[in-house]
Amino acid sequence: MTTDTLPASAPVSLTADPAPGRAVTWLAMRQVRRGGLIVTCLAVGMTAVVVASYTQVMADPAAVGGLQALAANPAIRTLFGAPVGLDTAGGFTVWRIGTVFAVLLAAWSILAVTRITRGEEDAGRWDVLLSGRLPLRNVLIRHIAAVMAVAAATTIAITAVLLITGTPAAGALVHGVGTGLLGMFFAAVAALTAQVFPARSPATGTAVAVLGVGLLARMIGDGVNALGWLHWLSPFGLLALSGPYAQDRVLPLVLLAVAGVLVTVAALTAAGRRDVRGGLLEPAAGRPPRTRLLAGVETFAVRRVLRPLTGWSVGVGAYYLLIGLTAVSVTGFLRDNPAMAGQAAQAGFDALGSIAGFAATLFALLAMPAGVFTAVRMGELIAAETDRRLTLLAGRPVTRIRLLGAEIAVTAVAATILVTVAGLLTWAGVTVMGGELAIGAALRGVWNVLPIVLLSLGAAVFAVGWVPRLTGLLGTLPAVGGFLLLVIAESVAAPAWVRDLSPFAHLAPVPLTGPDPTASMIMLAMAAALTIAGLGGYRYRDLNS
Amino acid sequence: MTNPALRAVQLTKRYGRLTALDTLTLDVMPGEVFGFLGPNGAGKSTTIRLLLGLARPTAGRAEVFGVDAADVAHAHRHLAYMPADVALWPQLTGTEILHLQARTGPGTDSAYRDELVERFALDVSKPARTYSTGNRQKVALIAAFATRAPLLVLDEPTSGLDPLMEREFRTAVRHARDRGQTVFLSSHQLAEVEAVCDRVGILRAGRLVEVSTIGELRGLHRSEVTISYTGSAPDLTEIPGIETVQPAGDGRVRFTLTGAPAPALQALAAADVTALAVREPSLEEIFLDYYGQQEVAR
Repeated sequence: MTTDTLPASAPVSLTADPAPGRAVTWLAMRQVRRGGLIVTCLAVGMTAVVVASYTQVMADPAAVGGLQALAANPAIRTLFGAPVGLDTAGGFTVWRIGTVFAVLLAAWSILAVTRITRGEEDAGRWDVLLSGRLPLRNVLIRHIAAVMAVAAATTIAITAVLLITGTPAAGALVHGVGTGLLGMFFAAVAALTAQVFPARSPATGTAVAVLGVGLLARMIGDGVNALGWLHWLSPFGLLALSGPYAQDRVLPLVLLAVAGVLVTVAALTAAGRRDVRGGLLEPAAGRPPRTRLLAGVETFAVRRVLRPLTGWSVGVGAYYLLIGLTAVSVTGFLRDNPAMAGQAAQAGFDALGSIAGFAATLFALLAMPAGVFTAVRMGELIAAETDRRLTLLAGRPVTRIRLLGAEIAVTAVAATILVTVAGLLTWAGVTVMGGELAIGAALRGVWNVLPIVLLSLGAAVFAVGWVPRLTGLLGTLPAVGGFLLLVIAESVAAPAWVRDLSPFAHLAPVPLTGPDPTASMIMLAMAAALTIAGLGGYRYRDLNS
Repeated sequence: MTNPALRAVQLTKRYGRLTALDTLTLDVMPGEVFGFLGPNGAGKSTTIRLLLGLARPTAGRAEVFGVDAADVAHAHRHLAYMPADVALWPQLTGTEILHLQARTGPGTDSAYRDELVERFALDVSKPARTYSTGNRQKVALIAAFATRAPLLVLDEPTSGLDPLMEREFRTAVRHARDRGQTVFLSSHQLAEVEAVCDRVGILRAGRLVEVSTIGELRGLHRSEVTISYTGSAPDLTEIPGIETVQPAGDGRVRFTLTGAPAPALQALAAADVTALAVREPSLEEIFLDYYGQQEVAR
């Protein structure tokens, strides 16, 4: 037998791209470019706005005093990060938004990596990609690199803004590079969990858990001096140790970079040891059927929310337990230092002097995770529609209204359970530490944020009906966008009407005061209108599949 | 008068400037096994999505046993559907998915369902994420066949099945017909359609170009025969069923054969035939042969 090449009947020109990897890199970049652009713009915008507001704040001696008082408080350090170099525009910026943006970038990096790697693999699209000339490792590293490039872009963006506004170069570099390295580290962590688990949701969940534990470790290290060494074990702790505009230490950043490289290497090694569409952990080949909650569309919606709700409750609950445990300390500190309490009040933190006020301030934040939860659940429904899982159910005698209505009702109840868990754990934390917070007050406080949460749900439902591609974005807009708007508007002393666009501007500080029924009713009415409009759109549009 | 199981009246679907389905008018009568043929992208799945109310028509209307297809809560009580590209909830096992489908569906014969699970040799204890394409199709097929719905809408049901399972599928379709169920079956596999369908509709580029019984379709079904011979070429002129005789190189001749082969074989017996190859033309070739010309003529 010969191994002659096939005879060509006509001259054929075969072109083999000398660099097939570029096409894959381009594919990866394409899938993260929109989110990457938003994240980078946020990095520029948030940094620029806060730096610009520095001189304004510093012109007011009362505000300066209030800030310094709070900076010394262990509980505040626990929640907002240790303020270092507050007397400089750079240090002020790092304290105000450093942690917030770092968490945002880390969360985005995790979601982006698992979406474009494990998510694409789950959907079967990598089968075709990997039948090409590039091996799995090569494809994976190009996808990780695409997400890390966004983190690098935020480094450049943040550093550039801080340099242009005239803050010291060393601090600008340490803060910018640290933030970028943190994003890269979590991209690597997500890449690793995506190799370990054979499905997207446990991969995302585990990486988010690493984020949560890292954040908690830093908080505990900040709050408890004896446990300060925990900083060295947490990426957020390393960021704090680098001390931008104060110590400007490079060693923690080197450690963070090394950790990122090690995790990336681990992910690539793991990728070489698994099957495509498989993970290092293989699920059991078979199991007895569990038909509980499979009786209909409604119960099936309940069944699908149980596991995510548990995960979110653990994460959010842990944070609010910590809030509860530190509440006594912070209020005690302010009670013992009336001068500082007064200064804090002048700085706009007047509510922090009592446990009820402290809890009210932090319960307001709860609207964010709960609002994101509702948006994520609606996004999950759209994902099921797009990848055709929903088609079999849609072929049953079930109206669209019932299909979406079940999902809305279950999500609303689940979000209520989520905030209730947070309230109960705050109460438990306060009670354990000997503070005074009635269980009813805690629950009224957390339920008070439900209108904002339902507004998020309503916006997500509206998107489901009319612009399904934007479900996640529109759904998070009221809760996260509203909060950012409020923070930015207050930082730059924007006109009142800008501030009033944020639902958080109308949130009464419950349990410090009673609820604001008018504001709540307006928000609920808007949520209802958005939901009805969304249901109407969903009823008549084509299913994407 | 009984309502047709499926009725499309001037049914049209446009996506922007693209017309996916162009004024389809079609009745499928109760008890009929109807094959819906067409090459890829002809609009078969679009039609089915319109008939199921998963997509809304740009113009025209669709009915299921006289119920507007958009009223899915009522229309879907009369039907069971198997999509072309089956996706399942990855964490649910086969049993759990069949349970969910039965509980949300128009009534299921669970004994027959268990029998189908046996016949299709599906391991229902596995989570769906471990299923191959064929196994996912089996789950959807079993869920559809196990219902007592009077209409089964099956979109390319056997594209991922092996020949043994294809045979089981044909048996299941016959059982459904014996029970009086109507089957609407989209496919681009002519052999499958020939084996099970009473009547077929052929869709091409969004237009229904032919609705005929399977007997009439057989008339369209032409084989291509190539023979090798020594000595003089066989005389194939004026033989019933033989058309387009062409020389195919040295000592070879090629022709198309329609209908019974006996006259052709008798004519060939006179020659010294050394080899004979019969190739059934693909559906695509028949389309090109017949409808391509019509398109040009138009």
